Amino acid sequence: MKKIASALLLSAIAAAAVPASAAEIVVIVSKQNPATRMFSEQASQFFLGKSNLFTPVDQADGSAIRNEFYHKVADKDAAQVKALWSKLVFTGKATPPKEYPNSAEVKKAVAADPKAIGYIDKSAVDDTVKVILTLP
Amino acid sequence: MKKHLLAAAVLAATAALSAQAGVLDDGNLSISGFGTVGVAQSNTDDVKFARYNQADGVGNSARIGLDTNLGLQATYKINDWLSGTAQVLTRKATEHSFTTDLTWAFLKARINDEVSVRVGRVVVPTFLISDYQNVGYANTMMRPPIEMYGQAPIENSDGADINYQHAFGDLNFTAQAFAGVSRGKLFVSTGAGSTATYRAPARGISLAGEYGPFLLRVAHARADMEINDIQPINALTNTLTSVGFGQLASDITFSTGKKIAFTSIGGTMDWNNVVGQAEYAQRRAKDKVYLPDTNAWYAMLGYRFGKVLPYYAHASAKGAGSSITAPAALAKIPALNAGVANLLTSAEQTTDIVGVRWDFAKQLALKVQVDRVKPGAKSGLLINVPAAGYTKDVTVVAAVVDFVF
Repeated sequence: MKKIASALLLSAIAAAAVPASAAEIVVIVSKQNPATRMFSEQASQFFLGKSNLFTPVDQADGSAIRNEFYHKVADKDAAQVKALWSKLVFTGKATPPKEYPNSAEVKKAVAADPKAIGYIDKSAVDDTVKVILTLP
Repeated sequence: MKKHLLAAAVLAATAALSAQAGVLDDGNLSISGFGTVGVAQSNTDDVKFARYNQADGVGNSARIGLDTNLGLQATYKINDWLSGTAQVLTRKATEHSFTTDLTWAFLKARINDEVSVRVGRVVVPTFLISDYQNVGYANTMMRPPIEMYGQAPIENSDGADINYQHAFGDLNFTAQAFAGVSRGKLFVSTGAGSTATYRAPARGISLAGEYGPFLLRVAHARADMEINDIQPINALTNTLTSVGFGQLASDITFSTGKKIAFTSIGGTMDWNNVVGQAEYAQRRAKDKVYLPDTNAWYAMLGYRFGKVLPYYAHASAKGAGSSITAPAALAKIPALNAGVANLLTSAEQTTDIVGVRWDFAKQLALKVQVDRVKPGAKSGLLINVPAAGYTKDVTVVAAVVDFVF
């Protein structure tokens, strides 16, 4: 029994660890968007409410890909990003990005809006969207 | 009046929309909120420590009123370029109980990607954190240093503002200009305490540059304050007039409208886990009025250890003279002369603050803060002070949980 429990625990840890470390995140825009490449600092501007030129599309709050994305582009954890957004939201300066539950939904939303910018798992990329940045 | 109606209309529209939210559910309505639940206590009952414009302070027994608040906000996106937002805030302010105010209520038109215009009620960005000082979760410190934030009485204004945002390479530049009429209540701590009502046409501009983790901001605002019912001032000016100092009385009073200017420079940083925030500001009377000129500053430095962020801050408020010089003849009435001299003198105070913020759970932050308040001239910014004044240090300990949803 204990062995099964520890095996389950081990595989759960492994499962949790794999997508966080092995997955590559790519930043995507619509095919109609003229942008071809972007630096991570630039990408972070849209997701931190500092620029309205593109419309950010976010992954689910608390998801591993979201935490990893903000860590990679802005070196911020979820709480820091939330604090930053609460400053913008409660002063009426900006509204937080719309959230979608997974990479497939994010991709669909980005493909449908020429101004949208999103980030998804590299494996979810197809020819409906354009990759402008790969986060190692 | 028109602006009141407008604000009410925006609120009503937003409320009506939120009532239908379940039915509509088209993703255009967002309801969010913030709040703080806290308890605070000081080491003495001889004086009370309060936030700016609070009627009830804390003494030597635990009280929740100092820092506890709740803000609720609804935004409805009418279309791609137009939206309406209303926010109400419940807290203890100029009354001895919790009250709810409409703090924001505006229609926002996005002109293009860089310019937006808001019409209605907006909070005035006099100082660095003026427009989010009540959102504990968005701030590192538990409360805005009263030495700085106690300088500006105006909170929001009914009118319009324009926001401009542009990136020059890696430098993000933002500008905000506003004009409108501010109305509100002021708590007058003299004696048993009373409230006064002000009306102030106000306008101002703030410019900010953000370069990576560094933000620098300068701002200037002017208000034409008109207050008719500050009881202790009216009592004094009536007496002065009756003994032949009518000019001095009309110089002192706010009842004819007096211009006050606020100028500030401040910045924040969040660089390699080093978190900083500092600001310097001046309040200057541009007409003759009793309200003393002041200079204030504070500086905060913290270091982020993962979810835990300890910080230290120092704040200072000092007098910078008065726009009025009492006539020499007033010296013949020593009591009155002393009263006027005292009125024209600014309260002075410094505070040392140590605290820690712990982001212990999603959308929740716990803060513990100790303020060591050193009152100077006129018992500093403490309230309910004894007639003889108070110069001893006061220690205030507080713990709060800030949340957003």
